[in-house]
Amino acid sequence: MKGRGTIIFTIGAVVALLVAIILMQFRTVEETDISTLEAMRETELRAEVASWKEKYEEASKQLTETQAKITEYYETMESKDEAAKVLEQELLQAKMRIGQEAVTGSGIEVTLEDNIETQIDDYDIYKLINELRLAGAEAISVNEVRITAMSDVKSIAPGLIHIDGNPLHSPYIIKAIGDQTYLVSALNQKTYGYMDYVIKSYDKTGYITTRESIVIPATKKVMKFEYAEEVKQ
Amino acid sequence: MSILIAILIGCLIGALLGINAPIISYTYSSYLAIAIIAALDSVFGGISSVVKGNFDLKIFVSGFFGNAILSILLTYLGQKLNVDIYLAAIIVFVGRMFTNLSIIRRYFLEKWSKGKNKKEVEEDAGK
Repeated sequence: MKGRGTIIFTIGAVVALLVAIILMQFRTVEETDISTLEAMRETELRAEVASWKEKYEEASKQLTETQAKITEYYETMESKDEAAKVLEQELLQAKMRIGQEAVTGSGIEVTLEDNIETQIDDYDIYKLINELRLAGAEAISVNEVRITAMSDVKSIAPGLIHIDGNPLHSPYIIKAIGDQTYLVSALNQKTYGYMDYVIKSYDKTGYITTRESIVIPATKKVMKFEYAEEVKQ
Repeated sequence: MSILIAILIGCLIGALLGINAPIISYTYSSYLAIAIIAALDSVFGGISSVVKGNFDLKIFVSGFFGNAILSILLTYLGQKLNVDIYLAAIIVFVGRMFTNLSIIRRYFLEKWSKGKNKKEVEEDAGK
């Protein structure tokens, strides 16, 4: 009977041990997150490291490529910047020349006024513009209307002159930027100069003032080419 | 009958212990797994020897612990040598488990068919 009791006890103990270990293992396997780094086996870790290394190498390669591209872009950008600056300068010059840009500088101001006997007419104005251009005026305006290459001056009625469609009346203040001495002496020539020949001989009123700072506005006229085209060479 | 009760009580105590035991590190769980396979193999071997009628408690207990410890040591050695020795252990143990299972199955099948024949003979006699 003693032998049988030992057998029973031993088998019970062995079964208890086995079941306990199996349950422990079940719980371990269930509760361990296989994807965490700590739980990974060496081979898995190795594969992971290898794949990360590959990714890293790819990324660093891309980085170098991108950096090279960026430097290239910077270089082209700089050269383009220079070209753009030159072009901008040229564009500004052209705009100033055709009157699409307000300009400032030293020059003269000619004031023509109607008086009791005589009135200023379009001839006086465009004659004056012509004289000023001859004397090297770089920009001209009449009563804040910029004179461009395509400007027109027309008497509409006594005391009313249209310039580019803008109705103007006395006093006409003609501003011109240029060499003050040239401009003044050109207008003040004896006998056949503008002031003598056109103004004083007809008893019209006009006088010249020199100004150190004149602002001439941009033209408001929109220039469009409907008929003229560029000649292709 | 008392053996069955012992097995049941053992199962209960083992379950209680296993549920309340701390979780072991995942690194060592592979050793534990191989030990479990070895122990299960011993259990099936024990049952088959009971069936054959040559069950020896000493052999059973020594096989139970000896196989488990040996398989753990082999797995450890395999990891040191960078050879997956535990695979060999699993193949051997699982193969033996199938052999023992087939012995047990045959024994009980024979017993069942014998009982059936006996019953049929009795029924025939009854007629």
